[in-house]
Amino acid sequence: MLAATIIILGCALAAVLLSWLYFRRYAIVRPPLGVFNFSDVAMMLGSIILIPYLDLALPLWVVAGLLVVGGLSTLYFTWEPILPPVWPRWLATLVLVGLDLVAWQWLGKSSPWWYAINNVFVVLCAVGITNLWAQAGMKARDAAILAGALAVYDLVFTSLLPLMGDLYTRLAMLPLAPMVAWPIGSEGQWYAIGLGDLLLAAAFPLVMRKAFGRSAGLAAMLIGLIAIGALLVSPLLGLYIEIFPAMVVLGPLMVLQYAYWRRRCGTERTTWQYLQAEPGRQSA
Amino acid sequence: METGLAQLRFAASMLFGRPLSAWALDRLVDAALETRHEFGAIGPAAAEFLSGPPLDEDARREMQLRRFRAQAAMAAQETPYYAGLFEKTGLDPHRLRFEEIARIPVTPKAAMRNTPDAFVRRSARPAFRTMTTGTTGRPTSTYFSAHEMQTTALLSALTFLQEGQIGPDDIVQISTSSRATLGNACFSQACQRIGAAWYLAGLVQPSQALALLAEEHHLPGKKPRTSFLNTYPSYLGELVECGLAAGYRPADFGLTRISVGGEVVTAGLKARAQQLFGPVVFIEGFGMTEIWPLGATRCAAGHLHWEPTQGLIEVLNPEASGPAQPGQAGTLVATPFGPYREASVVLRYNTEDVVAPLAGPLTCRWRDWPATSDIRGKLRLSIRHDRGWTYPRDVLEALEAVEAVPLPARGGFWAVSGGVAVEAVVRAVTPAVHREIEAALEGQGVPLRELHLVEDRRQLQQPLPLRCDLREDSFATPAPSTAPDVGGAGRLPTERS
Repeated sequence: MLAATIIILGCALAAVLLSWLYFRRYAIVRPPLGVFNFSDVAMMLGSIILIPYLDLALPLWVVAGLLVVGGLSTLYFTWEPILPPVWPRWLATLVLVGLDLVAWQWLGKSSPWWYAINNVFVVLCAVGITNLWAQAGMKARDAAILAGALAVYDLVFTSLLPLMGDLYTRLAMLPLAPMVAWPIGSEGQWYAIGLGDLLLAAAFPLVMRKAFGRSAGLAAMLIGLIAIGALLVSPLLGLYIEIFPAMVVLGPLMVLQYAYWRRRCGTERTTWQYLQAEPGRQSA
Repeated sequence: METGLAQLRFAASMLFGRPLSAWALDRLVDAALETRHEFGAIGPAAAEFLSGPPLDEDARREMQLRRFRAQAAMAAQETPYYAGLFEKTGLDPHRLRFEEIARIPVTPKAAMRNTPDAFVRRSARPAFRTMTTGTTGRPTSTYFSAHEMQTTALLSALTFLQEGQIGPDDIVQISTSSRATLGNACFSQACQRIGAAWYLAGLVQPSQALALLAEEHHLPGKKPRTSFLNTYPSYLGELVECGLAAGYRPADFGLTRISVGGEVVTAGLKARAQQLFGPVVFIEGFGMTEIWPLGATRCAAGHLHWEPTQGLIEVLNPEASGPAQPGQAGTLVATPFGPYREASVVLRYNTEDVVAPLAGPLTCRWRDWPATSDIRGKLRLSIRHDRGWTYPRDVLEALEAVEAVPLPARGGFWAVSGGVAVEAVVRAVTPAVHREIEAALEGQGVPLRELHLVEDRRQLQQPLPLRCDLREDSFATPAPSTAPDVGGAGRLPTERS
């Protein structure tokens, strides 16, 4: 259990730190027109409600196919600014997705090798997705609204309803599973944090930095990691819960942070203002 | 997400020629405004999205042929003018080959001038009749639908935003003829949609227009002075002449961009305008009522580039049948395509403007689009002489480069034995001025045989028409508080600060 906790915490730390470094260093290729705005947040919330039901209703091979397509496209755009030539980008993308599929098929879904490869895959996806949101102009306000809404959602669908438990049990059987996990105890048991929780934890520092400056970003990063750490180590302290809705903790913390920095700094900065104040590779 | 849907809808219009969706364009303008606000500018990828990816020669011909066929079929089925024309020629518009396009008779200006209704589609809902200002003859009418006007204004707004030419903080002065209803309506609606403040100054006394440009504003979210001017070259010339004479300096203005067109724009005019307004950016291109919204954008290299999805451009040799060769001047013949053009259809319209096809390959920004030289002037204002052709541009470029010639250059030219006779208004007729103008004209390749310089425009024999002479009178006199400090009078002391 300790090893699993350390590995998952390490992966969460890697996702948050790599997203931060990527945000400062690389300009993701964003759509030429349009900004990530409140209607996108609303659409995202609608999808978050709908997609778990689809994942449970669709045949496993369809869900697996969707995960492969989603994984390939996410990794491809994540590598795009790092590996500008097309063929190394495709190579890096296909190798990782291929390794995940091969490990899942031949080593089995309980193999630590498959978990290790899949964790790398999920961390890289988190880096790409969070940067796509933040670099597409996601506002701290919208991230806070999303986090607040997800806290309510998580409370209902994870704690009160069996939806999330069923969903994770099903997705854990598939390659490219959207979770950072590690096997524990007897055959088939694992300890994990979902990609959704990681995304919020990694994206919020980015949008806070853009909106209110480096201190707000670092504070968001630290608070998020401490909260995730506390949730992950709680079973070691005897506070064992089969499935815990992480956003119930992360969401209110993000809303409070936004309220604090909004009150302290006033209107949040646009991407242009952020890059004027803190020039980095992104402006190149 | 909405933007994504709008992009798909717009792409469907581009790919399949479906009518443009005002909703999609409106959403794209919003997206462009949001992008500009968030990121400070709109990236070059947006330009590719709006005009489509670059096409090679074969793909472009195929796309243009498909669109020409669609437009020709519509014209043959729905307009009296082209129904008769296709019947006479025996051509099947549905099966036209690219080579056969040249067999469709060119539509002369006179046809549209005499029977504008014959070009309106039976199924169209014409809502707006616009007339040319008639600078070069009797006005020509064209009809547009309300939807066409709306989508054209939205497309203009998108272009202005994407090119960074007009933003919500701009104040825009339109100094064009109030009768130029099509251009004014589309341009002002585009400004309004962007959120810029605009006003139609018209072609009033230059001193009044200058006073408006120099006026200080205290409007929330706007620049402190008019920042964008839309006008004709000849009227800009009047402003420059009047402004410099009145003692205005660049510090009196806040102009950053001047959109200038409708006549020949010369290098001399732009250089002298910068003496008055400072380092403004000039936005030049080509637009014409009859083929609207098909138009050209002028690149830094001085070429006119025609977006291939908007229409087909041909340059025809005026002295022989067939196309002009690269470098050889010819008349511009244009066919605007759907979905940009709905209410009235026009095929192979003879614009009577002279351009030259360019020899490729080009290296400028819009190198993938069909290109011509800049406009050299109207064919009927050009002259054929023993040594070839002389065009209005040749003469105007020479005259406006000479400081002794007041702006706008007023003059004319005609053929004489062995070359050309040129007449022009100058500030003072002196031997030195005579020599300077002679040298400038020869530098432009004008085979000068006679030069007649006068100090009074009434002495000109065959002056070229200028749009600035479409003057709109007013009872008002320029406000003294905004006139520059000339001899210590006319400016309030506080305005110095």
